Amino acid sequence: MNDERVLCVSEEPDLGIALVRLARSIVGVEAGRVFAVVLPGSAPDVIERIAAGGADGIHVLEGAASSDPHVVAEALSALVSDLAPTLILMGSTKRGRELAGRLAGTLDLPATTGVTGLRLEADGIRIDREALSGNAVAVERIVRRPAIVAVMSGVDAPPASPPASTERSSHPMPATVPLTERTEARPKAGGQLEIEKAERIVTIGRGLQKKEDLSIVEALAKALRAEVGCTRPLAAEAGWLTDDHWIGLTGHRVHPKLYVAVGVSGAVQHLVGMRSSRVVVAINKDPNAPIFAQADYRVTGDLYQVVPALTKALGG
Amino acid sequence: MVEKLRIWVAVKHGIDVGLARADRATGLVRVDSAPRKTSDFDKNAIEEAVRVREHHGGVVTAVSVGGPAAREALREAVAIGADEVILVTGEHWAEWDTRAVARLLAAATRKLGGFDLFLLGEGSTDHFAGLVGPRIAGELKCGDVAYARRLTIVADGVVVEKDLEKEVEVVHARYPVVVSVGQEINTPRLPTFMANLKASKKEVRVVRPSDLDVPDDSLAPVVVIERVAVPEISRKQQTITGANPDELAAHLRDALKEEGVLP
Ligand SMILES: Cc1cc2nc3c(=O)[nH]c(=O)nc-3n(C[C@H](O)[C@H](O)[C@H](O)COP(=O)(O)OP(=O)(O)OC[C@H]3O[C@@H](n4cnc5c(N)ncnc54)[C@H](O)[C@@H]3O)c2cc1C
Ligand SMILES: Nc1ncnc2c1ncn2[C@@H]1O[C@H](COP(=O)(O)O)[C@@H](O)[C@H]1O
Repeated sequence: MNDERVLCVSEEPDLGIALVRLARSIVGVEAGRVFAVVLPGSAPDVIERIAAGGADGIHVLEGAASSDPHVVAEALSALVSDLAPTLILMGSTKRGRELAGRLAGTLDLPATTGVTGLRLEADGIRIDREALSGNAVAVERIVRRPAIVAVMSGVDAPPASPPASTERSSHPMPATVPLTERTEARPKAGGQLEIEKAERIVTIGRGLQKKEDLSIVEALAKALRAEVGCTRPLAAEAGWLTDDHWIGLTGHRVHPKLYVAVGVSGAVQHLVGMRSSRVVVAINKDPNAPIFAQADYRVTGDLYQVVPALTKALGG
Repeated sequence: MVEKLRIWVAVKHGIDVGLARADRATGLVRVDSAPRKTSDFDKNAIEEAVRVREHHGGVVTAVSVGGPAAREALREAVAIGADEVILVTGEHWAEWDTRAVARLLAAATRKLGGFDLFLLGEGSTDHFAGLVGPRIAGELKCGDVAYARRLTIVADGVVVEKDLEKEVEVVHARYPVVVSVGQEINTPRLPTFMANLKASKKEVRVVRPSDLDVPDDSLAPVVVIERVAVPEISRKQQTITGANPDELAAHLRDALKEEGVLP
């Protein structure tokens, strides 16, 4: 398919660069055209890195950064009519999904999010995406173009040799009147932990009785040189750990070498976050806990006994 | 201040992901016959709509796009406190994709009285796309705020705390506005026996695409779900035991050492 024109947009520079690589890998090196949009406020080195990722054209939006989906969608609409892309790739982050929906509604385009695989086929674009809260994988066919496809981070392709030249152009942000205004933005508590990158994770669930007992789990994590993860209730409801520890559908997706689930029942919305772990250990006092079906090593027992013993056995 | 707030809330009767099972032979989920229930976050959206009405007055209209069984989701909305309920349905409802659903919801608001505040879930439990709310707003050219975890009514609109991955934004939006809410925004009330009884008697207004001036052919899906499969998991499922916790721990440590996953 030589006439593919892919437009890549993400507010996250690393994801934007991964999108360019992905686009290049699906359209081929000689064929097709890959364009990247650089949103206002991006770091200066982003443009160079996008060029190296294999973009034929880089379109820099200049002006004030906007947090209003309407303003950003209007700016992108103008680029879509200029560049006539056949496919628009975005990141399936929260902002990315919101923007994908907004742009799709504005231009009446097909859109899909949470995408983990993408193939251009004769009868349309086929995508894989998480379905049923991550319990299943759906294959969808997009039958109309252009289409918006928002991909999960981690969907990447090997670096392609960059095209002979990369054209750069800048475009002013349109003078669209925003429909919403951001009055304040505050970083979330925690936020430093990048649990996606952890090699080992010890995840604690509601089996923990009180916040003070976190020290038991932290000691095991230390002995394993692991990060501490948690289920939704511990972050969202109890607030014992910050959101950067939260694993699952509405939290982080992780893929460590070792995942130790302690006092975690194994709800589908949690499992989707840890399914790609290499070795899974589950420690739970309920022999029928669903997490056991997802475990390589199953320990039926009280975490208050098993965890300290394991820490000790590991020399911690 | 708006005289009488027109609050809409979108409620999906989606697949119950906890109960959906794959066919043993094929690994595929029979989407059409899977058990359904009210999408989780939509209950938060209904609860928030009802709380807004309780504090500021107005009317809460719950709307669902789907088949006959979606009446159950609307009944639940009434039990939580919705005043009016609308079912948008048609012969081909099972094929309607996100685009079609958003079009119908947008058309319903346009045709049936308009809204000041339109609340949705940030993602439906089964599809979890997070597209319908922003799509409606894009189509209607009104403001949208997704990932709301707190909502406050102010003189000309709403102030929303928007929960992003690494930060929380405070966003001010004037009416009309579409707000997609997360689970953290509230805890939906459990309807009383009386509320359930009353809800079961509530009349549902049924409308079809033609009643909303939406031609049937404009609803043909542009994204078609071809198959839904449950990925096969092959875990060792080895049980580790020991005469006492120390022995058990030693066995587990040895197994993990063997796997080469210890530091
Ligand atoms: C739309 C949606 C999105 C969601 N997103 C997420 C998400 O991203 N991440 C997430 O985690 N959840 C998510 N959830 C919530 C999810 O459904 C579960 O409610 C949650 O994962 C349960 O957490 P848990 O396992 O810690 O608690 P529980 O289900 O209460 O399980 C606690 C477990 O601890 C065991 N236990 C108790 N005491 C001990 C002990 N002394 N020793 C050993 N074991 C013990 C119990 O046997 C039990 O199995 C979501 C839900 C919905 C509806
Ligand atoms: N068929 C439907 N009927 C009514 N509301 C819906 C429907 N599908 C989605 N929604 C609303 O849109 C939100 C987001 O859905 P989705 O884009 O599928 O993740 C849901 O939480 C609902 O509030």
